[in-house]
Amino acid sequence: MTATPVLSIRNASRHYQSGDSIVKALDDVSMDIMPGEVVGILGPSGSGKSTLLLIAGLLEPPTLGEVYIGGKRVSYPDAMLEGLRSFRRHNIGFVFQKANLIPFLTALENVALALEIDDVSPRDARDYARWLLGSLDLAHRRDNLPKQLSGGEQQRVAVARALANDPRLILADEPTAALDGERGKQVIRLFRQIATEADAGVAVVTHDPRVLSLFDRSYELRDGRIVKGHHPRQEST
Amino acid sequence: MNLAIKDIRYSLGRFLLTAAGVGFLITASIGMVGLYRGIVADALLLIEQIGADLWVVQGGHSGPFSESSAISTDMDRRVAGVVGVAAVRRFTQTSQQVSFNDRSVRATITAIDFPSDTGDWINLTAGRHLRNGHYEVIANDNLSLALGTSITVGRDQYHVVGLTSGMVDMGGDGLMFMSVNDVITIMKRRTNEEILLARKSDLASGLATGNSDSNGGSVDGALDNQKIAAVLVTLSPAADEQAVREALLAWGDVNVMSGQDQKDLLLNQRLLRLRIQILAFTGVLLVVMAIVISLIIYMLTIEKLHQIAMLKLIGARNSVVINMIVQQAFLIGAGGFAFGIGLARLIFPHFPRRVVMDLHDLGLLAMTVAIICAFASLMGISRALNVRAQEVLS
Ligand SMILES: Nc1ncnc2c1ncn2[C@@H]1O[C@H](COP(=O)(O)OP(=O)(O)OP(=O)(O)O)[C@@H](O)[C@H]1O
Ligand SMILES: [Mg+2]
Repeated sequence: MTATPVLSIRNASRHYQSGDSIVKALDDVSMDIMPGEVVGILGPSGSGKSTLLLIAGLLEPPTLGEVYIGGKRVSYPDAMLEGLRSFRRHNIGFVFQKANLIPFLTALENVALALEIDDVSPRDARDYARWLLGSLDLAHRRDNLPKQLSGGEQQRVAVARALANDPRLILADEPTAALDGERGKQVIRLFRQIATEADAGVAVVTHDPRVLSLFDRSYELRDGRIVKGHHPRQEST
Repeated sequence: MNLAIKDIRYSLGRFLLTAAGVGFLITASIGMVGLYRGIVADALLLIEQIGADLWVVQGGHSGPFSESSAISTDMDRRVAGVVGVAAVRRFTQTSQQVSFNDRSVRATITAIDFPSDTGDWINLTAGRHLRNGHYEVIANDNLSLALGTSITVGRDQYHVVGLTSGMVDMGGDGLMFMSVNDVITIMKRRTNEEILLARKSDLASGLATGNSDSNGGSVDGALDNQKIAAVLVTLSPAADEQAVREALLAWGDVNVMSGQDQKDLLLNQRLLRLRIQILAFTGVLLVVMAIVISLIIYMLTIEKLHQIAMLKLIGARNSVVINMIVQQAFLIGAGGFAFGIGLARLIFPHFPRRVVMDLHDLGLLAMTVAIICAFASLMGISRALNVRAQEVLS
């Protein structure tokens, strides 16, 4: 079966002006993520992993190259990113090292907010958020404020928020860095479950060697270029 | 869900403190404007209540409130003879120290032309109007005189027979009403004492002021041309006001003014500087308030930049962010306004001078606060809209 990739990056470069010199944070990178795949992005610090996610998430335009999501070209060099906000809202979920929850909203409200800003009625938003938190074993924590939750719990709420709009692409930048080994694995397993159940594609940036075995594939970056792709698990869906 | 209200509930204490801070500024503005309104109301009250159609005052002057006026004590008989004049009353005021129970207060003694006038235009809170031509007074309540109190004015004993409220002069001194003959006596005696003192100061400086009794009689005769301030005219219903004016002015030694003239003079001359001063102060306060509210809203926005970036990252429209900022600004404004009015109602009645809270003024102030909040929101919004989603990562 030759499905359309969820994410397809073609010859993308990202250059930053830094004083007189130009930093090539990303240099002619191409990659694909298929539905149902959980893909690792590895590499030393400064190798361009976060930059790759920003470009895939339509938060930065590539200096050169193209980004396709669900087969649709969404990124042009120097395109207006503001106009892509609603596209982002419908199609991409983000998870970061820090949970970045809104401190004055409860766990349930943090998740429901992602739905309400997508014009879901407040009641439906709460119902779905309740169900999502339940499925992430957080039913008993839903009325707690972020500061009353542990780091792992906060991160799971952040995952629930990223999943709220049923995105087909999930981008995670070191989501396990602040968690202990077991919690970290749990989050990646969660991604796997979502990828399998919802046919979504997941890209996870990580330094964490303990979770490597959980990826379908991984790319390794060095100085803004892809140096190799691992295939620890030869299978799809 | 309403982000502004959720945030406020999360940090309720800080919101209340902020609103209270803004509220104090609003209270101060209300007080400033109210003080001015109070002074104007106090100044105009007597002119309004006394209900004269025309005031006959010293020629070439615009007395007795905006400058001094002195006319002879029998001017009323001359005015009464003019066609169209239904009634005349003599009017004069003098500031006087009043003693009772070892205490002494300053009162503005105001003449009532008894018996044609018993002071029945004065609203009493207790007691009665004048019934005798001598030694009775109606006192304003801020003089703290109880009904029936015996007081000493000059050398005579008076009885408080009536109490009124809110009757003060421009400086806030309570009015004390008594018959015009009593007032003339008091003023005459005082003038004589002053002359006597002036004479004696040439001889020795150690002489006491109070014991001029023995000499009183001799000076009295020398200075019998006592003055009053004005004659109040009530026109007969059919009278032509203009004709009466002209007849009086034709004498050459008096000036004629209507009640409205008196009020205009007070507002535009005596009180003009005060008005400008208070307006300027109010302006300064409003500027301070604008700066404070703007800073607060701006700081609240800065504090939330990370969350605003997160909202943008998950795809929130700008309207979500703008609503949060605007609603918070207006909630702070509204909370401050409510607090300010509440506090004003609580404390201003205990102030020594009347503070008038005029509905129209409060409306204007509310509008000003709303404009300030809108302006403050704009500053916050312009900062918030410049935040980029990827700042979440920093
Ligand atoms: N806004 C920017 N302006 C200038 N240079 C930038 C900018 N963002 C990233 N860079 C540079 O691009 C390179 C890649 O950065 P990036 O953040 O993608 O690295 P990374 O692989 O995520 O590193 P880490 O593992 O430490 O997070 C770095 O050399 C960085 O200094
Ligand atoms: Mg990074």
